[in-house]
Amino acid sequence: MSRGGADLSVRIGPLALANPVLVASGTFGYGDEYAHVLDVSALGGVITKTVTLEPRAGNPAQRIAETAGGILNSIGLENVGLARFRSEKLPKLRALRATIVASVGGETPDELVRLLEALGRERGIGGFEINFSCPNVARGGARYWALPRRLERTLARLRPLTRAALIAKLSPDVTSVADLAIACEQGGADAVTAVNTFVGMAVDLDAMRSRLGRATGGLSGPAIKPLALARCHEVARAVRIPVIGSGGIMDARDALEFMAVGAAAIQVGTASFIHPGAAAAVLDDMREFLAARGFASLAAWRGSLLEPGVSAQGLPRAAHREVPRRRAARRRLARRA
Amino acid sequence: MIAPAAEWIQTRARVRAQMDAGSGHQWLELVVPQDFVAPEPGQFVQLLIESPSPVLLPRPMSVASVRERPEGLTLGFLYAPVGAGTRGLTRLTAGEAVEILGPLGRGYPLDQPGTPVLVAGGRGVAPLIFAAQELARHGASHAPRRSEFVFGARDERHLVGLDEARRELDAVGGRLHVCTDDGSQGLRGNVIAALDALEPRLEGTPVIHACGPHAMLKAVARWALERRFSAYLAMESVMACGTGVCRGCPLPRSAARRAAFDASATPSLWGNREYAMCCTEGPVFEAGDLDWEHVE
Repeated sequence: MSRGGADLSVRIGPLALANPVLVASGTFGYGDEYAHVLDVSALGGVITKTVTLEPRAGNPAQRIAETAGGILNSIGLENVGLARFRSEKLPKLRALRATIVASVGGETPDELVRLLEALGRERGIGGFEINFSCPNVARGGARYWALPRRLERTLARLRPLTRAALIAKLSPDVTSVADLAIACEQGGADAVTAVNTFVGMAVDLDAMRSRLGRATGGLSGPAIKPLALARCHEVARAVRIPVIGSGGIMDARDALEFMAVGAAAIQVGTASFIHPGAAAAVLDDMREFLAARGFASLAAWRGSLLEPGVSAQGLPRAAHREVPRRRAARRRLARRA
Repeated sequence: MIAPAAEWIQTRARVRAQMDAGSGHQWLELVVPQDFVAPEPGQFVQLLIESPSPVLLPRPMSVASVRERPEGLTLGFLYAPVGAGTRGLTRLTAGEAVEILGPLGRGYPLDQPGTPVLVAGGRGVAPLIFAAQELARHGASHAPRRSEFVFGARDERHLVGLDEARRELDAVGGRLHVCTDDGSQGLRGNVIAALDALEPRLEGTPVIHACGPHAMLKAVARWALERRFSAYLAMESVMACGTGVCRGCPLPRSAARRAAFDASATPSLWGNREYAMCCTEGPVFEAGDLDWEHVE
């Protein structure tokens, strides 16, 4: 970004992002649908709809049910499949000069390996977000991937297949999301996304059945923000790799909360359904917020609430410096080990 | 089929009027800014009450009228406040602002050669009032085509929008065929009974444009398919985005129109199905597009 104000750039492993605002997988199509509404090249990155080896039809109606402050969805990973993603969707996204993060999903580690073998060295893909957390499929969903050893081994197999960033997207519906994040880090992930949707349910009392085609769905939107924020905080304290915060971010203030608890970057998801230009607004308002408070860079803001007892009030510069120092200490420890 | 508007926008519209349309229905009129593309009959918009809104998502609303007025392009909506979102819309009063995103989806191909037969069920009449308006408008410049309008409802009270439909039809010399389940007005029976009665009197090949409950649309689609008549049905779905991004409004595609999915090769939890999105491929579908057996 050439505009003035705070330096918003951020690194996710090998991937340099101009700013920390990404759009969440499944909420922005393949990137071109909203291209006439906002400049997708100005965003930190576009995370595509999850791609699987074969096309998937997705789940039958109903796929959407609005609940108090949230949306339940049961899409079921509907997507065009690897071949059409490569031949049709990727070229369009490249032409828009977006920073592309391809979301990939598989029912087994082998499927993910085959996807990365096919796409790992594809020009223009800056990163891969591995969808380890879909709540709406019978196989290869959040439950299947909620095993630390499975995550670690799978990522270790994926790691050599690409030089692009490897990001693991985690489910919040687990005993310890921090344990999964640590496993991803050990497997070689460059970052983790915390978190995907929460499993939820709603009943139609007139029809006496679920308001979705399947019994449950994934809950997103403002309803989950405090829950997601706590998971993000937990993960940020547990790993050294960058954490990408996600869950109910509707505006810049929400985004800055995630960054204050340690997120290196954030994802705007459900907000794009309501305002297609939401991600661009988050970015503009974030810049304005930081400028108004005199922050020269986002790095100074990031993690300002990560240490217990540290408040963002009154620009606690010392506290901000605490975070990199602690990280350096950890790195030294890691080298010794 | 009419191509979807390439460039929908999200902007602010101003409420011009809101009034009681009878039997629990409302008529809402919005003035949209100049850069808002005029919708085609059958297309829809997403309406979002400005903060604080009682609901999170915008609500998809079929356009019932488009008029050029001195204050700008005016869109009319006929709706029933059945949920929190639509109840919220009833509280909008003249002069207030509302966010509008559109126009969205594909409309009715009214330029198809043949006799337009508009078939409405209950408040599904909304896009067909607009279709009749559009036929009347074109009738002024082109050779007018006689059109038929079949309007069915539970009872007399639920023939909401009948006067508007009649007014538009008079302008184009169209004929109105009313039917009610209880016989309180017009023919006693449903729209299929009315279509059966109309069939021998049709001039030329009919092209059906319909909107109503899915059960009615299923019956109309089958009626037309049996006779090899063209039929275009405006479908309904719960939606999130309305723009094709969320994949939230699936309708089962007919076997003949499946493309991406090889029945033998595509594993799917729900059998080998393929879905069309109501928002971008519809809401108006050709009868042969959908697998009516599995339309809910």
